[in-house]
Amino acid sequence: MGGQPLQVFEVFRREREGGPMQHAGNLLAPDPELASHYAREFYGRRQESVRLWIVPRAAIRDLDDPDLLQPPFDRSFKKPAGYSTEIKRKLAEARARAGGEPGDAGDEDPVVAAGRKGVERE
Amino acid sequence: MTMETAERLDQRTRAALADLLLAMADDEFVLGFWDSEWTGIAPVLEEDVAFASLAQDEIGHAQALYQLLTDVQGGDPDVVAFGRRPEEYRHARLLDHPRTDWAFSVARRFLYDTADAARLDALVASAYQPLAGVVAKMRREETYHLLHMHAWMERLANGGEEPRSRLLAALERLWPDARCVLAGVDDAPLVAAGVLAEPLAAVERRWLDGLAPVLDRLGLPHPRTAPPAGGCRGPERSDDFRWLWEQFTMVYRSDPEASW
Repeated sequence: MGGQPLQVFEVFRREREGGPMQHAGNLLAPDPELASHYAREFYGRRQESVRLWIVPRAAIRDLDDPDLLQPPFDRSFKKPAGYSTEIKRKLAEARARAGGEPGDAGDEDPVVAAGRKGVERE
Repeated sequence: MTMETAERLDQRTRAALADLLLAMADDEFVLGFWDSEWTGIAPVLEEDVAFASLAQDEIGHAQALYQLLTDVQGGDPDVVAFGRRPEEYRHARLLDHPRTDWAFSVARRFLYDTADAARLDALVASAYQPLAGVVAKMRREETYHLLHMHAWMERLANGGEEPRSRLLAALERLWPDARCVLAGVDDAPLVAAGVLAEPLAAVERRWLDGLAPVLDRLGLPHPRTAPPAGGCRGPERSDDFRWLWEQFTMVYRSDPEASW
Protein backbone atom coordinates (compact mmCIF):
# COMPACT_ATOMS: atom_id res chain seq x y z
CA MET A 1 0.00 0.00 0.00
CA GLY A 2 2.42 2.62 -1.22
CA GLY A 3 4.74 1.76 1.65
CA GLN A 4 2.37 3.44 4.10
CA PRO A 5 2.51 1.48 7.36
CA LEU A 6 -0.71 -0.08 8.57
CA GLN A 7 -1.98 0.94 12.00
CA VAL A 8 -4.33 -0.85 14.35
CA PHE A 9 -7.71 0.77 14.95
CA GLU A 10 -10.01 -0.37 17.75
CA VAL A 11 -13.70 -0.28 16.85
CA PHE A 12 -16.61 0.26 19.24
CA ARG A 13 -20.21 -0.17 18.22
CA ARG A 14 -23.68 0.70 19.48
CA GLU A 15 -26.20 -1.96 18.63
CA ARG A 16 -29.36 0.12 19.14
CA GLU A 17 -30.28 3.67 20.13
CA GLY A 18 -29.76 4.18 23.84
CA GLY A 19 -27.41 1.20 24.16
CA PRO A 20 -23.81 1.42 25.34
CA MET A 21 -20.78 1.66 23.04
CA GLN A 22 -19.13 -1.74 23.27
CA HIS A 23 -15.83 -3.00 21.97
CA ALA A 24 -16.42 -4.76 18.63
CA GLY A 25 -12.89 -5.69 17.57
CA ASN A 26 -10.02 -4.17 15.65
CA LEU A 27 -8.66 -3.81 12.16
CA LEU A 28 -5.61 -2.66 10.21
CA ALA A 29 -5.73 0.38 7.94
CA PRO A 30 -3.21 2.87 6.55
CA ASP A 31 -5.20 5.91 7.73
CA PRO A 32 -8.39 6.96 9.56
CA GLU A 33 -10.41 7.38 6.34
CA LEU A 34 -9.94 3.82 5.12
CA ALA A 35 -10.27 2.64 8.73
CA SER A 36 -13.78 4.13 8.74
CA HIS A 37 -14.68 2.33 5.51
CA TYR A 38 -13.34 -0.96 6.82
CA ALA A 39 -15.08 -0.54 10.20
CA ARG A 40 -18.33 0.00 8.35
CA GLU A 41 -17.85 -3.19 6.34
CA PHE A 42 -16.69 -5.25 9.34
CA TYR A 43 -19.15 -4.07 11.99
CA GLY A 44 -22.01 -2.40 10.12
CA ARG A 45 -22.64 -4.10 6.81
CA ARG A 46 -25.38 -6.34 8.20
CA GLN A 47 -27.21 -3.39 9.81
CA GLU A 48 -25.97 -4.58 13.21
CA SER A 49 -24.84 -1.14 14.41
CA VAL A 50 -26.32 2.35 14.67
CA ARG A 51 -23.00 4.03 15.58
CA LEU A 52 -19.31 3.19 15.38
CA TRP A 53 -16.29 4.73 17.09
CA ILE A 54 -13.00 4.13 15.29
CA VAL A 55 -10.02 4.82 17.56
CA PRO A 56 -6.34 4.51 16.68
CA ARG A 57 -4.90 2.06 19.20
CA ALA A 58 -2.00 4.51 19.66
CA ALA A 59 -4.50 7.01 21.16
CA ILE A 60 -5.50 4.60 23.92
CA ARG A 61 -3.87 5.05 27.36
CA ASP A 62 -3.16 1.59 28.63
CA LEU A 63 -3.29 0.91 32.37
CA ASP A 64 -2.58 -2.54 33.78
CA ASP A 65 -0.36 -1.84 36.85
CA PRO A 66 -1.45 -4.29 39.61
CA ASP A 67 -0.52 -1.79 42.35
CA LEU A 68 -3.11 0.57 40.88
CA LEU A 69 -5.75 -1.93 39.89
CA GLN A 70 -5.36 -4.86 42.31
CA PRO A 71 -4.17 -3.36 45.67
CA PRO A 72 -3.36 -5.96 48.34
CA PHE A 73 -5.79 -4.94 51.11
CA ASP A 74 -9.36 -6.15 51.34
CA ARG A 75 -11.57 -3.81 49.33
CA SER A 76 -14.80 -5.74 49.71
CA PHE A 77 -16.32 -2.86 51.66
CA LYS A 78 -16.16 -0.84 48.44
CA LYS A 79 -18.33 -3.36 46.62
CA PRO A 80 -22.09 -3.13 46.91
CA ALA A 81 -22.24 -6.93 47.12
CA GLY A 82 -19.51 -7.04 49.77
CA TYR A 83 -21.42 -4.54 51.86
CA SER A 84 -24.71 -6.46 51.71
CA THR A 85 -22.89 -9.70 52.57
CA GLU A 86 -21.64 -8.02 55.70
CA ILE A 87 -25.16 -6.83 56.56
CA LYS A 88 -26.50 -10.32 55.98
CA ARG A 89 -23.98 -11.75 58.43
CA LYS A 90 -24.78 -9.14 61.08
CA LEU A 91 -28.53 -9.67 60.64
CA ALA A 92 -28.15 -13.40 61.05
CA GLU A 93 -26.25 -12.82 64.30
CA ALA A 94 -28.86 -10.37 65.55
CA ARG A 95 -31.65 -12.80 64.73
CA ALA A 96 -29.86 -15.57 66.59
CA ARG A 97 -29.50 -13.30 69.63
CA ALA A 98 -33.22 -12.39 69.48
CA GLY A 99 -34.18 -16.06 69.21
CA GLY A 100 -35.90 -15.66 65.84
CA GLU A 101 -36.16 -18.60 63.49
CA PRO A 102 -33.06 -18.64 61.39
CA GLY A 103 -33.59 -18.55 57.70
CA ASP A 104 -37.15 -17.18 57.85
CA ALA A 105 -36.12 -14.36 55.60
CA GLY A 106 -34.84 -16.87 53.08
CA ASP A 107 -33.02 -15.29 50.22
CA GLU A 108 -34.81 -12.00 50.67
CA ASP A 109 -32.69 -8.89 50.29
CA PRO A 110 -31.40 -8.22 53.85
CA VAL A 111 -32.12 -4.52 53.72
CA VAL A 112 -35.73 -5.12 52.65
CA ALA A 113 -36.03 -7.88 55.21
CA ALA A 114 -34.75 -5.59 58.01
CA GLY A 115 -37.30 -2.94 57.01
CA ARG A 116 -40.12 -5.48 56.95
CA LYS A 117 -39.21 -6.79 60.39
CA GLY A 118 -39.17 -3.22 61.73
CA VAL A 119 -42.69 -2.66 60.39
CA GLU A 120 -43.95 -5.95 61.83
CA ARG A 121 -42.63 -5.04 65.29
CA GLU A 122 -44.57 -1.74 65.38
CA MET B 1 -48.26 12.13 -13.54
CA THR B 2 -46.99 9.19 -11.55
CA MET B 3 -47.87 5.54 -12.11
CA GLU B 4 -47.72 2.42 -10.00
CA THR B 5 -47.68 0.03 -12.98
CA ALA B 6 -46.42 0.19 -16.55
CA GLU B 7 -49.80 -0.87 -17.99
CA ARG B 8 -50.76 2.55 -19.38
CA LEU B 9 -47.45 3.10 -21.18
CA ASP B 10 -47.50 2.66 -24.96
CA GLN B 11 -45.59 -0.23 -26.47
CA ARG B 12 -42.42 1.68 -27.39
CA THR B 13 -42.16 3.37 -23.98
CA ARG B 14 -42.76 0.10 -22.20
CA ALA B 15 -40.09 -1.64 -24.27
CA ALA B 16 -37.68 1.23 -23.53
CA LEU B 17 -38.44 0.97 -19.80
CA ALA B 18 -37.82 -2.78 -19.88
CA ASP B 19 -34.54 -2.23 -21.73
CA LEU B 20 -33.41 0.48 -19.29
CA LEU B 21 -34.14 -1.83 -16.35
CA LEU B 22 -32.31 -4.72 -18.02
CA ALA B 23 -29.32 -2.53 -18.91
CA MET B 24 -29.03 -1.21 -15.34
CA ALA B 25 -29.55 -4.66 -13.80
CA ASP B 26 -26.92 -6.23 -16.07
CA ASP B 27 -24.46 -3.39 -15.31
CA GLU B 28 -24.78 -4.03 -11.57
CA PHE B 29 -24.79 -7.80 -11.96
CA VAL B 30 -21.67 -8.06 -14.14
CA LEU B 31 -19.73 -5.50 -12.08
CA GLY B 32 -20.67 -7.44 -8.94
CA PHE B 33 -19.23 -10.63 -10.40
CA TRP B 34 -16.02 -9.02 -11.67
CA ASP B 35 -15.32 -7.30 -8.36
CA SER B 36 -16.12 -10.39 -6.31
CA GLU B 37 -13.04 -11.91 -7.96
CA TRP B 38 -10.91 -9.86 -5.52
CA THR B 39 -12.14 -12.02 -2.63
CA GLY B 40 -9.00 -13.45 -1.08
CA ILE B 41 -6.50 -11.45 -3.14
CA ALA B 42 -7.14 -7.73 -2.47
CA PRO B 43 -4.17 -5.62 -1.24
CA VAL B 44 -4.98 -6.20 2.45
CA LEU B 45 -7.46 -8.42 4.26
CA GLU B 46 -9.59 -5.43 5.29
CA GLU B 47 -9.93 -4.25 1.68
CA ASP B 48 -10.71 -7.80 0.65
CA VAL B 49 -13.76 -7.89 2.94
CA ALA B 50 -14.80 -4.34 2.05
CA PHE B 51 -14.54 -4.78 -1.72
CA ALA B 52 -16.36 -8.12 -1.64
CA SER B 53 -19.10 -6.45 0.38
CA LEU B 54 -19.46 -3.69 -2.22
CA ALA B 55 -19.64 -6.37 -4.92
CA GLN B 56 -22.41 -8.11 -2.97
CA ASP B 57 -24.30 -4.81 -2.75
CA GLU B 58 -24.26 -4.60 -6.56
CA ILE B 59 -25.67 -8.11 -6.87
CA GLY B 60 -28.41 -7.01 -4.47
CA HIS B 61 -29.18 -3.99 -6.65
CA ALA B 62 -29.28 -6.25 -9.71
CA GLN B 63 -31.75 -8.53 -7.93
CA ALA B 64 -34.08 -5.59 -7.19
CA LEU B 65 -33.83 -4.35 -10.79
CA TYR B 66 -34.45 -7.81 -12.35
CA GLN B 67 -37.54 -8.01 -10.14
CA LEU B 68 -38.74 -4.61 -11.44
CA LEU B 69 -38.13 -5.83 -14.99
CA THR B 70 -40.18 -8.99 -14.55
CA ASP B 71 -42.95 -6.89 -12.96
CA VAL B 72 -43.09 -4.98 -16.26
CA GLN B 73 -42.74 -7.83 -18.76
CA GLY B 74 -43.41 -11.00 -16.77
CA GLY B 75 -41.00 -13.90 -16.26
CA ASP B 76 -38.70 -15.03 -13.49
CA PRO B 77 -35.83 -12.81 -12.28
CA ASP B 78 -33.49 -15.81 -11.84
CA VAL B 79 -34.10 -16.95 -15.40
CA VAL B 80 -33.40 -13.43 -16.68
CA ALA B 81 -30.21 -13.22 -14.61
CA PHE B 82 -28.77 -16.65 -15.41
CA GLY B 83 -30.73 -18.08 -18.34
CA ARG B 84 -29.49 -15.91 -21.21
CA ARG B 85 -26.69 -16.35 -23.75
CA PRO B 86 -23.69 -13.96 -23.37
CA GLU B 87 -24.78 -11.92 -26.41
CA GLU B 88 -28.20 -11.27 -24.83
CA TYR B 89 -26.75 -9.36 -21.87
CA ARG B 90 -27.21 -5.59 -22.03
CA HIS B 91 -24.42 -4.32 -19.71
CA ALA B 92 -22.19 -1.46 -20.90
CA ARG B 93 -18.94 -2.34 -22.67
CA LEU B 94 -17.03 -0.89 -19.68
CA LEU B 95 -17.91 -4.16 -17.95
CA ASP B 96 -16.52 -6.40 -20.69
CA HIS B 97 -12.98 -5.88 -19.37
CA PRO B 98 -11.51 -8.41 -16.96
CA ARG B 99 -10.49 -7.65 -13.38
CA THR B 100 -6.87 -6.95 -14.49
CA ASP B 101 -4.87 -5.28 -11.65
CA TRP B 102 -6.05 -3.42 -8.56
CA ALA B 103 -5.68 0.04 -10.14
CA PHE B 104 -7.76 -1.15 -13.11
CA SER B 105 -10.57 -2.49 -10.91
CA VAL B 106 -10.55 0.70 -8.82
CA ALA B 107 -10.59 2.93 -11.92
CA ARG B 108 -13.41 0.93 -13.52
CA ARG B 109 -15.48 1.03 -10.35
CA PHE B 110 -14.85 4.74 -9.91
CA LEU B 111 -15.95 5.50 -13.48
CA TYR B 112 -18.97 3.21 -13.20
CA ASP B 113 -20.09 4.41 -9.75
CA THR B 114 -19.86 8.09 -10.68
CA ALA B 115 -21.73 7.56 -14.00
CA ASP B 116 -24.32 5.40 -12.24
CA ALA B 117 -24.80 8.12 -9.59
CA ALA B 118 -25.64 10.62 -12.36
CA ARG B 119 -28.08 8.08 -13.84
CA LEU B 120 -29.74 7.46 -10.46
CA ASP B 121 -30.12 11.23 -9.97
CA ALA B 122 -32.21 11.29 -13.17
CA LEU B 123 -34.41 8.43 -11.93
CA VAL B 124 -35.04 9.21 -8.26
CA ALA B 125 -38.09 11.35 -9.11
CA SER B 126 -39.25 8.92 -11.84
CA ALA B 127 -42.94 8.93 -12.68
CA TYR B 128 -42.68 5.14 -12.57
CA GLN B 129 -43.03 4.79 -8.81
CA PRO B 130 -41.60 1.28 -8.35
CA LEU B 131 -38.36 2.42 -10.01
CA ALA B 132 -38.19 5.66 -7.97
CA GLY B 133 -38.51 3.54 -4.82
CA VAL B 134 -35.68 1.15 -5.71
CA VAL B 135 -33.45 4.01 -6.88
CA ALA B 136 -33.91 5.87 -3.58
CA LYS B 137 -32.60 2.80 -1.74
CA MET B 138 -29.76 2.23 -4.20
CA ARG B 139 -28.54 5.82 -3.84
CA ARG B 140 -28.12 5.43 -0.09
CA GLU B 141 -25.74 2.51 -0.65
CA GLU B 142 -23.98 4.12 -3.59
CA THR B 143 -23.08 7.05 -1.31
CA TYR B 144 -20.55 4.98 0.62
CA HIS B 145 -19.43 3.13 -2.51
CA LEU B 146 -18.50 6.53 -3.93
CA LEU B 147 -16.67 7.57 -0.77
CA HIS B 148 -14.71 4.32 -0.83
CA MET B 149 -13.75 4.70 -4.49
CA HIS B 150 -12.78 8.37 -4.11
CA ALA B 151 -10.51 7.35 -1.23
CA TRP B 152 -8.77 4.76 -3.43
CA MET B 153 -8.48 7.00 -6.51
CA GLU B 154 -6.73 9.57 -4.32
CA ARG B 155 -4.33 7.00 -2.89
CA LEU B 156 -3.44 5.55 -6.26
CA ALA B 157 -3.11 8.95 -7.97
CA ASN B 158 -0.86 10.30 -5.19
CA GLY B 159 0.70 7.03 -4.06
CA GLY B 160 3.97 7.19 -5.96
CA GLU B 161 5.13 6.26 -9.41
CA GLU B 162 3.91 2.69 -9.81
CA PRO B 163 0.33 3.10 -8.53
CA ARG B 164 -0.04 6.30 -10.54
CA SER B 165 1.24 4.81 -13.79
CA ARG B 166 -1.02 1.79 -13.39
CA LEU B 167 -3.99 4.08 -12.75
CA LEU B 168 -3.18 6.18 -15.82
CA ALA B 169 -2.89 3.06 -17.99
CA ALA B 170 -6.25 1.83 -16.69
CA LEU B 171 -7.99 5.15 -17.40
CA GLU B 172 -6.48 5.26 -20.87
CA ARG B 173 -8.01 1.88 -21.62
CA LEU B 174 -11.34 2.43 -19.85
CA TRP B 175 -12.38 5.97 -20.80
CA PRO B 176 -13.94 5.21 -24.21
CA ASP B 177 -16.00 2.30 -22.87
CA ALA B 178 -16.94 4.17 -19.67
CA ARG B 179 -18.99 6.49 -21.86
CA CYS B 180 -21.17 3.51 -22.76
CA VAL B 181 -22.71 3.49 -19.27
CA LEU B 182 -24.91 6.46 -20.22
CA ALA B 183 -25.70 5.29 -23.75
CA GLY B 184 -27.35 2.52 -25.70
CA VAL B 185 -30.90 2.91 -24.36
CA ASP B 186 -33.89 4.40 -26.24
CA ASP B 187 -34.25 7.35 -23.85
CA ALA B 188 -36.59 9.73 -25.77
CA PRO B 189 -39.90 7.99 -24.89
CA LEU B 190 -38.74 7.58 -21.29
CA VAL B 191 -38.11 11.33 -20.99
CA ALA B 192 -41.49 12.06 -22.62
CA ALA B 193 -43.26 9.78 -20.12
CA GLY B 194 -41.42 11.29 -17.13
CA VAL B 195 -39.72 7.97 -16.32
CA LEU B 196 -36.31 9.60 -16.88
CA ALA B 197 -35.81 13.27 -15.90
CA GLU B 198 -33.52 14.19 -18.81
CA PRO B 199 -31.97 12.61 -21.93
CA LEU B 200 -28.97 10.37 -21.31
CA ALA B 201 -26.75 12.84 -23.19
CA ALA B 202 -27.62 15.45 -20.54
CA VAL B 203 -26.99 12.91 -17.77
CA GLU B 204 -23.58 12.26 -19.29
CA ARG B 205 -22.75 15.99 -19.41
CA ARG B 206 -23.70 16.27 -15.74
CA TRP B 207 -21.50 13.24 -14.95
CA LEU B 208 -18.47 14.64 -16.79
CA ASP B 209 -18.96 18.16 -15.37
CA GLY B 210 -19.03 16.70 -11.87
CA LEU B 211 -15.95 14.58 -12.52
CA ALA B 212 -13.83 17.39 -14.02
CA PRO B 213 -12.75 19.07 -10.75
CA VAL B 214 -11.92 15.66 -9.20
CA LEU B 215 -9.78 14.67 -12.19
CA ASP B 216 -8.08 18.08 -12.20
CA ARG B 217 -7.29 17.89 -8.51
CA LEU B 218 -5.73 14.44 -8.96
CA GLY B 219 -4.01 15.43 -12.23
CA LEU B 220 -5.80 12.67 -14.15
CA PRO B 221 -6.87 12.76 -17.82
CA HIS B 222 -10.34 13.72 -19.01
CA PRO B 223 -11.98 11.56 -21.69
CA ARG B 224 -10.48 12.43 -25.06
CA THR B 225 -12.62 10.40 -27.40
CA ALA B 226 -16.32 10.58 -28.17
CA PRO B 227 -18.44 7.67 -26.98
CA PRO B 228 -18.42 4.72 -29.41
CA ALA B 229 -21.02 5.03 -32.15
CA GLY B 230 -22.53 1.58 -31.65
CA GLY B 231 -22.14 -1.65 -29.79
CA CYS B 232 -22.14 0.04 -26.39
CA ARG B 233 -24.38 -2.64 -24.91
CA GLY B 234 -23.73 -5.71 -27.05
CA PRO B 235 -24.47 -7.94 -28.84
CA GLU B 236 -20.71 -8.38 -29.51
CA ARG B 237 -19.00 -9.46 -26.30
CA SER B 238 -15.37 -9.88 -25.31
CA ASP B 239 -13.84 -13.28 -24.63
CA ASP B 240 -13.28 -12.06 -21.06
CA PHE B 241 -17.00 -11.56 -20.55
CA ARG B 242 -17.72 -14.95 -22.13
CA TRP B 243 -15.34 -16.50 -19.59
CA LEU B 244 -17.07 -14.67 -16.71
CA TRP B 245 -20.47 -15.76 -18.05
CA GLU B 246 -19.28 -19.40 -18.05
CA GLN B 247 -18.34 -18.93 -14.39
CA PHE B 248 -21.45 -17.22 -13.09
CA THR B 249 -23.94 -19.38 -14.99
CA MET B 250 -22.14 -22.68 -14.35
CA VAL B 251 -24.28 -23.82 -11.44
CA TYR B 252 -27.52 -22.61 -13.03
CA ARG B 253 -26.75 -24.37 -16.34
CA SER B 254 -25.98 -27.62 -14.54
CA ASP B 255 -29.70 -27.91 -13.70
CA PRO B 256 -31.94 -24.99 -14.79
CA GLU B 257 -35.01 -26.67 -13.26
CA ALA B 258 -33.54 -27.01 -9.77
CA SER B 259 -35.22 -25.00 -7.04
CA TRP B 260 -32.87 -23.31 -4.56
